[in-house]
Amino acid sequence: MDLALLAQHALNGAMLGVIYALVAVGFTLFFGVLDVIKFSHGDVVMLGAFTGLATSIGLSSAFGSVPPWIAVIVITLTAVAAMALVGALMAKFLVLPLHKAPTLNVLLITLMAGTVIRESVRLFYPQGSNPKPFPRLLPDGAVNLGRLTLRFDSAILLAIGVIAIVGVHLLITRTRLGLAIRAVAQDPETASAMGIPFQATVLATFALGSGLAALAGVVNGLYYSEVNFSMGLLLGAIGFSAAVIGGLGNVYGAILGGFIFAALQTIGAVALPIASAYKDVFAFGAVIALMAWKPAGLLAERSAERV
Amino acid sequence: MKALGLEIRDLTVGYDRADVLSGVSLVARPGEITCLLGANGSGKSTLARAILGLTPPRAGTIRLGETDITGLPTHRVVAQGIGAIPEGRRVFPKLSVRENLRTGAYLVRDHALVASRMAEVYRVFPRLQERSDQLAGTLSGGEQAMLSIGRGLMGSPGLLIIDEPSLGLSPRFVKENFQVIRRINESGVSVLLVEQNVHQTLDVAHRGYVLSGGRVVAEGTADELKRHPELVAAYFGH
Repeated sequence: MDLALLAQHALNGAMLGVIYALVAVGFTLFFGVLDVIKFSHGDVVMLGAFTGLATSIGLSSAFGSVPPWIAVIVITLTAVAAMALVGALMAKFLVLPLHKAPTLNVLLITLMAGTVIRESVRLFYPQGSNPKPFPRLLPDGAVNLGRLTLRFDSAILLAIGVIAIVGVHLLITRTRLGLAIRAVAQDPETASAMGIPFQATVLATFALGSGLAALAGVVNGLYYSEVNFSMGLLLGAIGFSAAVIGGLGNVYGAILGGFIFAALQTIGAVALPIASAYKDVFAFGAVIALMAWKPAGLLAERSAERV
Repeated sequence: MKALGLEIRDLTVGYDRADVLSGVSLVARPGEITCLLGANGSGKSTLARAILGLTPPRAGTIRLGETDITGLPTHRVVAQGIGAIPEGRRVFPKLSVRENLRTGAYLVRDHALVASRMAEVYRVFPRLQERSDQLAGTLSGGEQAMLSIGRGLMGSPGLLIIDEPSLGLSPRFVKENFQVIRRINESGVSVLLVEQNVHQTLDVAHRGYVLSGGRVVAEGTADELKRHPELVAAYFGH
């Protein structure tokens, strides 16, 4: 394989890695503050993508043709805001009431909530059971750097994802909310004894994680130009795996895990003498091996020292 | 903030079916150090938790200054002017020293005010300044105790609740700790000191209560309590 082709695959892998990292950060944040696994997270990714799709249809029927870059901004912000709200509501009405119950109950109730979201989109979105074309809003062109083709849309999506990840890092490490999230994750009782509101911090964390899920959904839609009601199943499983191999509860582990999973998929698709359809089999198999090797994740921390 | 008094009436607190505190009444006067003595399991830490709203009471009232704080969520209790130095120090291990101090002033949004209070804590505990970028989990036990005290002061509380500050510290440091508590009080902060260490506690406290089996069994000025040797012997065995 020559260098240009290798770079091309690396670029595509990075694109996937960004999407997976955005999903995985949500899993790790929820686990960090509340010790829960929210299994509806993948379906929130999907709902975010469909919210973006509906917004773009609404935009063009209300205003005719809208400059594509405005459409991208409006779609992204609407989807992120809507899913942030959905995430906060789910935390308030599904997760927090079960806070004192066994964590298995939270896992079950969010699993069911995810099914409700998925089936609702299938049944109530017009022709929801079919794949839907997602509008191509990003510039079509590409630049040829030698024999490496850099598509503008990929470059823009990659930039959006990287900015979001850097933004999360700054929010967690530099802001008052980030301090509250980290304090609650490490010791909720002492955090509240310092005046940090527990419930508000949990709701903000779920809003943040779910907003990132919506961003992942929209980026995914723009990248593949297609969304469907069941896309959240695989993205959820991948995001969860990424968070676990990185070390559940560690934000940087989740980001690392997202890129590792994307790398595994890319290797499975192009570098191994197997049909590319088996790339997920290879990637998940490798995850199983990684977990057997490092059961607590690559950036493992003791459970008392999270986020 | 000016020193705040605390008044507890007929407080009953329990977990599951058992009451840990039954009908406890006590007063912590503004500007004084009030100590809460008792053996392990006497309910004194539960009382501290109830005041902070960490364990909601079943009956009774808790008033801080003029405000009824009974049943308020913890962060609202703290907002009324209570500072906490929890049992076991409970610093946030993966936050830096500076970030730990910042959490103590979480309710203060004025950066300049936070900075000046942090400078004040660093003046009292220069060791913390040397380690301000270090993760709190890497500090020694004594340094963590300083950090926990500093963090409790960052909110400039009117009443400071200090739970078992001498637990697990070397004797030399315990002595220093009591001196620090006295200085904090002299700077105009009421203190509720929960302790097992009878002698040193009664040396710094103005007044005190002795808890046993979830009830107040003795109260009075520190000197009066010191003159109850049989009481002290009965409950603490020395």
